Amino acid sequence: MSTTVPTTTGSPSRRRSTPVDSGLGWLDDRLGVAKGGRIFMDKIFPDHWSFLLGEIALYSFVVLLATGVFLTLYFVPSAAQTVYHGVYKPLDGVKMSEAYASSVNISFAVRSGLVIRQMHHWAADVFIGSIAVHMCRIFFTGAFRKPRELNWIVGVSLLFLAIVNGFLGYSLPDDLISGTGIRIAYSILLSIPLVGSYLATLVFGGVFPGNGSIIPRFFILHVLILPAIIAGLIGAHLFMLVRQKHTQFPGHGRTEDNVVGSPMFPTFMAKTTGFLFMVTGVLWALGGLAQINPIWQFGPYVPYKISYAVQPDWYMGWLDGAMRIMPSWEFAGFGHTIPFMIFLPGVLFPGLTSILFIFWPFIEQKLTGDRAEHHLLDRPRDRPRRTAVGAAFLAFYFMLFCASSTDVLANFFQVSLNVVLWTFRFIVFIVPIIVGLFTYRICLDMTGASHVGKRKRAVLIVRSATGAYTTVDTEARPGDGHHELEPMLVPGFIEGLDGDGAEGGEPGVRRVVRRP
Amino acid sequence: MSDVTTDEPGDREPGGLAEEQAPSAPLPLASFDDPHLQPLAKQPGRAEGVVGILLVVGLLGFAAYGAVYWVGGQPQVEGISLGVGLFSFGFGLSAWGKYLLPQGPFMEKRHKLASSDDERAAMAAAIVERGGMMVKRRSFLGGILGIGGAVMGVVLAFPLLRSLGPVPAKTFDVTNWHKGSRLVDNLGRPVHVADLEVGGSLTVFPEGYTSEEAMAVDQTILIRIAGPDVEVVTEPSRATWGPDGYLAFSKVCTHAGCPVGLFQHQTLQLLCPCHQSLFNVGQGRPATNVFGPAPRPLPQLPLYVDDAGFLRSQAGYDQPIGPGFWERTTT
Amino acid sequence: MRTVRKTLHIRYLLPAAVVVAVGVGGLLTSLSAGASTRSRTPSGANAIAAPTPPIRYVGTFTPAQVHEGQVLFEANCSSCHGTQAEGSALAPDLQGLGPATVDFWVSTGRMPLADASVQATRKPARFDNQQATAISAYVASLAPTAPGFPSGIPYVDTKASSLSMGNRLFVLNCAACHTITGAGDALADGAYAPSLHVATSTQVAEAVRTGPGNMPVFGPGTLSNAQVADIVAYVTGPIQHPNDRGGIGLGGIGPVAEGFVALLIGVGGIMLIAFWLGERA
Repeated sequence: MSTTVPTTTGSPSRRRSTPVDSGLGWLDDRLGVAKGGRIFMDKIFPDHWSFLLGEIALYSFVVLLATGVFLTLYFVPSAAQTVYHGVYKPLDGVKMSEAYASSVNISFAVRSGLVIRQMHHWAADVFIGSIAVHMCRIFFTGAFRKPRELNWIVGVSLLFLAIVNGFLGYSLPDDLISGTGIRIAYSILLSIPLVGSYLATLVFGGVFPGNGSIIPRFFILHVLILPAIIAGLIGAHLFMLVRQKHTQFPGHGRTEDNVVGSPMFPTFMAKTTGFLFMVTGVLWALGGLAQINPIWQFGPYVPYKISYAVQPDWYMGWLDGAMRIMPSWEFAGFGHTIPFMIFLPGVLFPGLTSILFIFWPFIEQKLTGDRAEHHLLDRPRDRPRRTAVGAAFLAFYFMLFCASSTDVLANFFQVSLNVVLWTFRFIVFIVPIIVGLFTYRICLDMTGASHVGKRKRAVLIVRSATGAYTTVDTEARPGDGHHELEPMLVPGFIEGLDGDGAEGGEPGVRRVVRRP
Repeated sequence: MSDVTTDEPGDREPGGLAEEQAPSAPLPLASFDDPHLQPLAKQPGRAEGVVGILLVVGLLGFAAYGAVYWVGGQPQVEGISLGVGLFSFGFGLSAWGKYLLPQGPFMEKRHKLASSDDERAAMAAAIVERGGMMVKRRSFLGGILGIGGAVMGVVLAFPLLRSLGPVPAKTFDVTNWHKGSRLVDNLGRPVHVADLEVGGSLTVFPEGYTSEEAMAVDQTILIRIAGPDVEVVTEPSRATWGPDGYLAFSKVCTHAGCPVGLFQHQTLQLLCPCHQSLFNVGQGRPATNVFGPAPRPLPQLPLYVDDAGFLRSQAGYDQPIGPGFWERTTT
Repeated sequence: MRTVRKTLHIRYLLPAAVVVAVGVGGLLTSLSAGASTRSRTPSGANAIAAPTPPIRYVGTFTPAQVHEGQVLFEANCSSCHGTQAEGSALAPDLQGLGPATVDFWVSTGRMPLADASVQATRKPARFDNQQATAISAYVASLAPTAPGFPSGIPYVDTKASSLSMGNRLFVLNCAACHTITGAGDALADGAYAPSLHVATSTQVAEAVRTGPGNMPVFGPGTLSNAQVADIVAYVTGPIQHPNDRGGIGLGGIGPVAEGFVALLIGVGGIMLIAFWLGERA
C-alpha cells in the first residue's frame, strides 16, 4: 500500500486523458483494480498450440451451458405418460413419457431446437474428447509434476464428472436406447456387495424403472448439481493455473524462472475469443449437418422392448467394452451372491482407474524420486518410460472402446461374433503391451537422433548443370525471426505511440517494418 | 482473539496477484519501433484485408441464419449459415490476434509461490496454538461438539438418503407370476396354445399386471420349438414344464438385466442384444449360458395348458430373476 | 480498398468454398431425401392388391406359370433340391413349404445359393418377380402347403395401415435383431440379421410369416394380417426412408459412428485450428 510503483520516463502524465482514464479512476477509487488488473493484462500465455487443447474443453463447456439453458426451456423432466400427437407422424398416438415427447418436440416443433439439441450432444462428445486430449498433453509432457499435482487432481475429477454428467444427459430423453442404458446402470448399482440392493432402490426410488422418479432426479443432477460442481472445479482449475503460471516447453529464452508467450491483452484475448467463436462454429455446424441420437427413430423406452446394436456414447464405451469381454464370473455361497461379471467391470474397474489417474503424480514421484519443482516441460521422447506407460494405457482404453462395438465389428467385417469377442479378450491386453514396448523403443531412438523437434528451416534443392544436387539454406520464413529475439517484459508504456501525432493507431499495424 | 499476535515477519503487502510483482521493479518501457511490437505478418495490409473479408463473411453468415430462422427454419441451412458465420468471424478475430498484434516474444517472471519458513511457522502456530487454547482444559466441550456433529451428520442423512426410496426387503426375489397365472401378451390378450407357430416367439406377462414396474420384472419370453403333444424337457426335474413345444424363460438377462429379446429359432438360442450373452434352449437345454458374460441360465417358467387351451404358469419362478445381488441366495 | 482487393487469393477462398460446398451438398441430400419420402405412394409397391384386405395371399396359379416354373426349377434348383423338390443330402425338402417361402428365398436372391456352407446372403436376384412367382407356383403344385405356412404369396396393401402401430410392433418384435433403424447386426456363431433397407413389402410379409433361417415365425396367432401390414408400412416407410432431419444419418448405427465423428471431425478438426493458431515449436 505504501509502496508506489515507480514508472520510467514514459510516465502516464504524458498521455492525454481519455474516458477510459476517468472510468477506471472511478472504479479504482472503490475497488482498487488498476494495479492488479494491469498485471493480469500482462499475464503471459505460452503460444504453443498444444496449450489450446484445454481451451477446447472450456469453450465446449460454455457451449454446453448455453445450449443446455435453451433446452431446459422446452424439456419436460417427467416420466408421466402422455399420448403423442405431434409433428412426427410415425409416433402419432404412441403412449410415451413427457420427457420423450418433449424431446421429440424440441427436435421437430421448436425452431432451431433440433440444431441446438444436436449441438448440445456434439458439444458433450467434444467436451470429454478434448479433456482427454488435453490430459494426454499434460501427462506426456510431465506438466502434472510439482507444484501442479493439485490441478491434475482437479482435472481428473473434471474428466470423471463430465463422463457421469454426459451419461445422465444421454439418459434424459427416455428413448429406447437410453432407457436400456439406465437399466444397465441399475444392474451395476445392484451388483455392489452389501449395499447394492439398497443403493439401487434408493437411487431409483424403488424397483426399476422406479415409479417415474428417475427422470426428474437425473434431470436435477444433470442441469444443476453436477454443472455447478463442474463450473466450480473449472474455476479452481483456472485459479490455480493463474496462481502457478503456465508451464512452457524449453526453448530460446525460456527458463524455469519465466514464462514466454503472448500477453493476455490484446494478443491472447483476440486469439482466444476468435477460438471460442471457431469452436462454437464447428459445433453449431455439426449440430445442423451431422445427425446425432435421432431419438424419434428409436421410439419411447418400454422396459420389455430392446434394440440390437445399443452402445453408450463414446466416453462410456470403455466401460461397456469391459462389461462385454468380462468372463461370466459370479460368486455364490454363504447365502450371498457377488456378481463379479458386472461388479468388476462396472464398479471396481472405473474406481481403480480414477484412483490410479488421481494418484499418478505421486506414484511417479515415488518411482523416480523426483520431487523438485518443474515449470519447463518434458519432451515425451526424453521420458521413454512415462511415454511408453501412457501410450500403453491409451491403447488399453482404446481397445476397450472398440470392444464395445463387437457386434457392429462382427457385422461389418462379416466374421463370427464369438470370434470377435474372444479376439478382444486377448488383444485388449496384448496390444497395449506391444504399443508400450514399441513406444519405448521409438523414444530411445529419437533421443539419440540429433535435430529432432527442432524447428526446421526450409532448404532449396538445386540441380547443377552437371546433374548434381545441392541444398541451399533459404531465408528465414516470416515469424522465424521473433523466435530468436530475446523475450522482453510486457511494456508498461509504449513510447512514440501517442503524442507525436504521426501514428495514433495500434502499434505496428499500419507501419510495415521489414524483418531483418 | 485479535490480541494474539503471531509475529508476522517482513512487511510484504498482502494481496494475491499484486504481491507477485516485485514492488521495486519499474514498469518496462518500449519504443514503438521495437521489433517485439511488430506484427507477425510480413504484409500487414494484406493480412488486414483477409481479416476484413473473414469478418464480413461472418456477418453474412449471421444475417443468413437470421433470415432462415425468420422464414421458418431448416436444420441444415441453419447449421451451415450460422456455423460458417461463427467460424469465419472467429477465424478473422484469431487471425487479427495472430498476424496483426505485437508478437513479442514477451515474458513474465515467475516468483516462488512458497512462503518463507517463518510465515509457514506462523500459520501453523496460529492453527495449533490458538486451537489448543480453545480446547485446553475443555476437552469435555470438544467431545460434546464432536458427538453432536456426528449425530447431526447421521440425522441429516435421513432425509438426504432414506427418503429417496423404499428399502429393498424381498422385492428382488419375487415376480407377479403365480400358480395358474394366465400368459398374456403386451396388450393383455391371452395366449392360446394354437397361437404360436413352431419357431415363433412372443413376449408375455402374467394376466392382470400392467404397470411398467410389473412388466419390467415379469417380462417372459415364450418360444415354441415343437408341435402339439411334444413335451419339451430342458432338464429331468422339469419334465412337465414345456407342454406342446412351448418354453418360457425370464426375459431379464442374468448379466445386466437387458431384455433377452433375440430368438434364433434354427440354432435354438436366445441372445441378449446388450452384451451378447448366449443361452441354449430346447430339449435338454435349460437356457444354459454358453457364451458371453452372463453367469447363470435364464430362469424357466413352468407352463401348462388349461382346459380352454390357454397357457398358464404352474408356479412362479423358482429363483430370483435377473442379475445377481448381494442378498440373492438361490443359485 | 486497395489492400482488400489484393487479398482475394485462392488460398483463402478454397477452404471457404469447400465448406460451402459441403454444406450445400448436405442440404440438397437431406432435401431430396425428404422429397422422396413425401412422393412415395401410400399404397406401397403392389398396385394389384385389392383395397379391402390388408394382405392378399395369392396361392392359385395358372398352368402356364407352373410350367414356366418347372423349366426354371429343373435348370437351376433341382441339382440340389431334386426334381420334385424332395430334397437331398445337400438341400432341404421344399414340399409343403408353400409358395411364400420359395418366393422369399428366390426373389431376395438368396437362392440359388453360392456357397452352401454359410448363411444365405441377399444378392441381386437371378430371377425377376414373374420367374420367382413361377418357381413358387411349381413347387407349390407338388404338394399341399403344410399347416403353419401361408397358403400364397402375400401382397400387402398398406393404405389402411397405422405407422405408429407399426412402430410399436417393430420395436417389440423386430428391433432386437434387425436394430431399431433396420440396419441389421451380427448374431451368434456367424449368423446375422440382414439389413431391411432393400426389402420389398411382399418380402417383409413373407419373412414375418415364414421365418427364414434363424428368424422366428410370426403366424396369424401372433400377428394379425393387419398388424403385419402395419409392420410392412413401418419398414417400407420410416425404416427405409428415415426422417434424417438432423443431417447426415451416419449409417444409423448410433454412438459408434457418432463417436468417431465427434473425435475425428469435432476434436480433431478443432485441434487443427489450434495447430494453426498456436506456435509449433
